[in-house]
Amino acid sequence: MVMRIARKELTEMSRDGRFRWSATIVFALLIASLAAGWRHHTDARQERDRAQQAMREMWLAQEAKNPHSAAHYGTWAFKPQTPLSYLDRGVNSFVGQAAYLEAHRQNEFRYRPAMDATAVARFGEWTAAAVLQLLLPLLIIVLTFTAFAGEREQGTLRQLASIGVSTRDLALGKGAGVAGALALLLVPAALLGSAALALASAGTADVLRLGLMVLGYLAYFAIFISISLVVSAHAPSARVALVALLGFWVLNTLVAPRAFSDIARRVHPTPSAFQFATAMGDDLRKGSDGHTPDARAEQLRQEMLAQYGVTTVDSLPVNFDAVRMQRSEEDANVVFDRHFGALYDSYQRQNSVHQMGALVAPFLAIRSLSMSLAGTDVEQHRAFATEAERYRRVLVKEMNDDMARNSRTGDWEYKAGPEVWAQVPDFEYVPPNTASLLRVQTASIVLLALWLAASLFELLTMGRIRLT
Amino acid sequence: MLSAERTLRAVSLFFALAVGYAVYNGVSWVRFQQQTLSDVAAEERSRYETIGAQIPLLERGDSVAGVQPWTDPRFPQVAGGSLATRYAALPPAALASLAVGQSDLYPYYARVSTRTKQTFIVNDEIENPVNLMAGRFDLSFVVIYLYPLLILALAYNLVSAEREQGTLAILMSQPVRARRVMVIKILVRAVIVVSLALGFTLLAALVAGVPLLAPGSLPRLALWAGIVTLYGVFWFSVALAVNALGKSSATNAVILLGAWLAVVVLVPAVYNVVVTTVIPSPSRIEMTQALREGTNAAQARGEALLQKYYIDHPEMMPGGDADMENFAARSIAVQEEVERDMAPTLAGFDQRLVEQQALADRYRFVSPAIVTQAALYDVAGTGAGRYRHFQLLVDDYHTEWRSFFYPRIFAKDTLGVADYERLPRFEYREEPLPALMRRVIPGLGWLLVPTLAIGALGIAGLRRVSPAEG
Repeated sequence: MVMRIARKELTEMSRDGRFRWSATIVFALLIASLAAGWRHHTDARQERDRAQQAMREMWLAQEAKNPHSAAHYGTWAFKPQTPLSYLDRGVNSFVGQAAYLEAHRQNEFRYRPAMDATAVARFGEWTAAAVLQLLLPLLIIVLTFTAFAGEREQGTLRQLASIGVSTRDLALGKGAGVAGALALLLVPAALLGSAALALASAGTADVLRLGLMVLGYLAYFAIFISISLVVSAHAPSARVALVALLGFWVLNTLVAPRAFSDIARRVHPTPSAFQFATAMGDDLRKGSDGHTPDARAEQLRQEMLAQYGVTTVDSLPVNFDAVRMQRSEEDANVVFDRHFGALYDSYQRQNSVHQMGALVAPFLAIRSLSMSLAGTDVEQHRAFATEAERYRRVLVKEMNDDMARNSRTGDWEYKAGPEVWAQVPDFEYVPPNTASLLRVQTASIVLLALWLAASLFELLTMGRIRLT
Repeated sequence: MLSAERTLRAVSLFFALAVGYAVYNGVSWVRFQQQTLSDVAAEERSRYETIGAQIPLLERGDSVAGVQPWTDPRFPQVAGGSLATRYAALPPAALASLAVGQSDLYPYYARVSTRTKQTFIVNDEIENPVNLMAGRFDLSFVVIYLYPLLILALAYNLVSAEREQGTLAILMSQPVRARRVMVIKILVRAVIVVSLALGFTLLAALVAGVPLLAPGSLPRLALWAGIVTLYGVFWFSVALAVNALGKSSATNAVILLGAWLAVVVLVPAVYNVVVTTVIPSPSRIEMTQALREGTNAAQARGEALLQKYYIDHPEMMPGGDADMENFAARSIAVQEEVERDMAPTLAGFDQRLVEQQALADRYRFVSPAIVTQAALYDVAGTGAGRYRHFQLLVDDYHTEWRSFFYPRIFAKDTLGVADYERLPRFEYREEPLPALMRRVIPGLGWLLVPTLAIGALGIAGLRRVSPAEG
């Protein structure tokens, strides 16, 4: 019975101008967004890889100089493009793309792409994720708001009831019909998307993530199908059903993200850039553990004189200035970790508030989950920033250690060459594994599942509904 | 009539809440910026007080705690390069709380020094990127996205409701009068909705403390009102035209939803893709790479590297004061050479951005939502126009700052308290109103033209409306 209803729905829909028009437009937009996203992604990835390679070459090609000079010369780290970012660009336009890695400073990532774009870009980026999260639910609403209400107004609902079709069968059948119609759109698009991924020679982790993304989106669509059918069944007329569903869509998709950003911002405020820099500067001056840099230098002097059993720093077998600079680097690093750590923790707390917002707006759950699986959320930006910072510390330490080992205190003429630059390994970034991503997205996953369960439950337990 | 009243009341309540919340949000953001500007001004004042106390002591020959030759405020290279650096601040415009616009992305202050612009021009405010992505719930959001929905909710079934209630046949028995009645119905609703929109805005602005009587506020407020009115009338004309098609209420709703989706969501997003395809944003990554390669070449002699090294470790510099002064002069020479080398790359970058913005402006009429966004941001002073104006003022100030210090550095002068009083200050001069009008008035035109065209089509179409569904 259910399958017969589903087939009838599908046939009717494929003949319906409403479906043909809207589905064609959505399909065209989906394919266009995949194409545009793909092109943008490959360009950006090539350019970024090229630049990162060039930075490495410039580092290795430095002429002979004092290693500490090389530490000041430093290098740049550029944010990588994850394979799935062509589907969902997430926050990539709103985080800095490049960080300057140099001695004595942990620099913020700079050059947010959105700053180099026009205000029109703030209307939203046209990615496959946008089509799937914004447009597809609208398509579902347009296809299903007359499911029950329309049949009721035409009188066919009473006829179906009179031949013994149960509400449950009707609900399932219509749901399956809509799902089938959507599949006509989505399966070709999904195949194209997977082909693109294969072209990007992505690893198995990315195939897993694509699979999880598909599951997430399917759950999201199922939620909308169920809600639309339930509203259509209970609304006094098709018009009321449409208005109610559209209202839900507007609140869910347009209002909720902004409203919850505001709430998160008020509950977990972040400092201004000026406050952040001032606080960090004060801490650096005061010393990470209450000892000023000067005091720490003196402490170090005593330690080293005792350790090597000499009376002046000039008699040390190592370069005291280099050791002192490395010690002050490590002290500064403690301060950087404290401040940047607190900032990113605030972002994480804000993002938890966004995820909890899925209680009222499932859009927030799918947005969060999709970004995370695509590798374009804040937490993964933090992971990259942390790795870049770790690399900076390795680079600086190598330089200071070489200077300490191979020169004496006061010898600023010591020059190192390419063999020393090559001692610093190339910057290789390994993204976090899928399991750790999902842990951060627990709330989104649970709430999405709850919405699915609740809406399906409502759909399947509708019982008696108005027939006229 | 009764249900229309109920709808109107519900819609007005929701709208009032949305407007109130939106203005409150905008005011919070403006207050945050003003607090930050106040903080940086306080920091500058306190730094100057410290210097003012140190100079007399240093002139007397006393040693002052924490002051070394490379942090001695009497040396012009130290003063101009770090110690006496001043902030160039962009105060939020009078109506900035009505539209956050791009103000959450562009820097609104810069700490100007004698060093290259690149060292102080990048000054991102701290904000969770997810919040930047979502955008703010501000009044421009309410106007661009929600206001049309409210209008469509009130006007979508103007004719179709009459048909569905059975009163259309009676009305159409006098066709000329029927058309006039329809048009008057739309006009009445338009007047109510637009007045509500403007009224709620004014009320919220008064309550939240938006400076409505500041210089330049009133003309901008008038422009704001004009934009909101025209955008609203546009949507009423669309509703009228769709009603004139003679379809059912539900069909009208779907068509109008499609129109809203197209104008507010789809066309802007597609337009953005087209603009960025025709004139892609210049790449910062490429720029960084090019600058680094370029400065490498300019620094082949190793001089500037020495400079950068000694700037961070002035205590390492051999030779004392005299050497430092020579070094300062040499640093400027090297810096100029590096800047000359960087100039073409940076100019090319900037030029591309200007071209992209110009393209985006030229065809923005493809969607009234894009036109409205650009106009609202401009009137609120949070669009690209005002920021470009600020950047140019900062450039001028940077030149002025350097002209004060370079001669003194080369002449090996020392600065006294009197000199500090003459240090150039940054004064922000607001864009002249005509410049703003030149950008906004065409936008009003771009709203008026489709309104008149669609409205005329709609009124003509009403002639063919029949009591049976078309």
